[in-house]
Amino acid sequence: MTKTIVVTSGKGGVGKTTTSASIATGLAKRGYKTVVIDFDVGLRNLDLVMGCERRVVYDLVNLVNQESSLHQTLIKDKRIENLYILPASQTRDKDALTIEGIARVMHKLKKSDFDYIICDSPAGIEKGAKMALYFADEAIVTTNPEVSSVRDSDRILGILQSESKRSKMNEEPVKEHLLITRYNPGRVKDGQMLSVDDIVDLLAIPLLGIIPESPTVLDCSNEGKPVILDDDSEAGQAYSDAIDRLLGEITKPHRFMEAPKKGFLSRLFG
Amino acid sequence: MSSKAGVELKGGMYTFMSLKLHTSDTDIINQQLADKVQQAPAFFKNTPVVVDFSALEALTDEQFDANELIECVRRHKLVPIVASLSNKSSPLGDSIAIPLIEGSVRSAATQKSTEKQSSQEQTEEQNEPSSAIEGSTISREVEFIVKAPLFINKPVRSGQQIYARETDLIIMGPVGPGAEVIADNNIHIYGPLRGRALCGVSGNASTRIFCTSLEAELVSVAGSFRMLETIPPELRGKPAQIWLEDGKLRIEPL
Ligand SMILES: Nc1ncnc2c1ncn2[C@@H]1O[C@H](COP(=O)(O)OP(=O)(O)O)[C@@H](O)[C@H]1O
Ligand SMILES: [Mg+2]
Repeated sequence: MTKTIVVTSGKGGVGKTTTSASIATGLAKRGYKTVVIDFDVGLRNLDLVMGCERRVVYDLVNLVNQESSLHQTLIKDKRIENLYILPASQTRDKDALTIEGIARVMHKLKKSDFDYIICDSPAGIEKGAKMALYFADEAIVTTNPEVSSVRDSDRILGILQSESKRSKMNEEPVKEHLLITRYNPGRVKDGQMLSVDDIVDLLAIPLLGIIPESPTVLDCSNEGKPVILDDDSEAGQAYSDAIDRLLGEITKPHRFMEAPKKGFLSRLFG
Repeated sequence: MSSKAGVELKGGMYTFMSLKLHTSDTDIINQQLADKVQQAPAFFKNTPVVVDFSALEALTDEQFDANELIECVRRHKLVPIVASLSNKSSPLGDSIAIPLIEGSVRSAATQKSTEKQSSQEQTEEQNEPSSAIEGSTISREVEFIVKAPLFINKPVRSGQQIYARETDLIIMGPVGPGAEVIADNNIHIYGPLRGRALCGVSGNASTRIFCTSLEAELVSVAGSFRMLETIPPELRGKPAQIWLEDGKLRIEPL
């Protein structure tokens, strides 16, 4: 059974693409045949984060328009077995996508025995974001610890409930997961950011993980390497934990919620 | 390719809001519609309505311009889809520029929604703002039939609207900021109210709002409303009830 998971948020720049890349890579590393689709037509950057931008020949719009085959369009990852990238088009706009066209692509992916389809959603609550979430069985709602981001997430949860295929067909609702990204415990303590408890209380959905704010994320993006492959980084480990929870280990304790204890020197100098 | 049908023509029953006009005076209609719509702008925006002209059929078209009345309805962001007359071939019918239907929409709509209620399958209507509150704007002849409350056991999210027509609304879960919960009767929220709650929207002033944590953007009882800024800070985040007393909105801790 193929599972389709959308990574969505409403707001831009919260870490959807970073998350899509790491979740897809993490699942493939555990042996699941996984494809990650960039729905951000016109602003593609998943291929950069995955480090395959020079290997893009065809893209999602070509595939939707039946100008290329699945085999021609999917890019196989060079590091991880079982991992494929379906890039977005740089040149077309979002109107090039249609639900019927995407339905055909989803059908082909299911026939190719993919275990997971990860959909990296564009920002906003317009057509592009709605396309990305339409076929979802599960949703990873990516939220930063800020009021505006939480509110957009609330909004997108409403859209998942009313505009996904599952809701339109009256099927079991989309399973919702909260992923808090760019979490900075120091700034939470100062009251500049919302705490994990605040966010969980506001959104009232199960917590999949907390990804700390970390400069490693940008370094990895620049290298074209999903941060989950960096075992030494806290962000990488936090994504690994999130994979465990996604695969059913829901009681796994959350890490990286506390501000690091200040060392002797920094205590001296405040 | 399969020969799957691309279209299917079927009979169907839909519930629409109907707007009964009791006067041809555009100023009065304008004013009353503005008052009504302002209570729940998001709820009424782009909502299809049946414009019921049956009370004006006796007037001749020299006395008023039906299309001007329809235009007036449009200006309030309602979408007139059809005009209803008790007799389609009455002279008034010829002058109306939108499609016509015949008969009493009012009773049909009421019956339909009662059936729907009793079959217990009354879910939230954010995608179906067509539920009837017919006649409530201009007439005031609202009958309250005892009905099962509308029961929502999941969070109401930002951007969603829920309307409990002629009944109580019970919500188990939070009402998010930017969400709107509306009822003709009482509203009970077992969770924080962070969005807008409007009870008694058809004019029932003896209705109340209850919530376990008051953080609302706006609360309104039968059209009297208060915004967050004017809610006393000591009541914020506390269980509270909101009701009307001598025409004044009261908010008290539970
Ligand atoms: N945990 C994190 N720590 C630090 N920077 C991050 C983190 N997650 C994402 N970023 C950075 O935030 C920016 C936006 O991330 P991206 O994944 O492209 O967001 P989106 O797809 O939601 O627009 C990028 O520069 C990315 O490197
Ligand atoms: Mg992105």
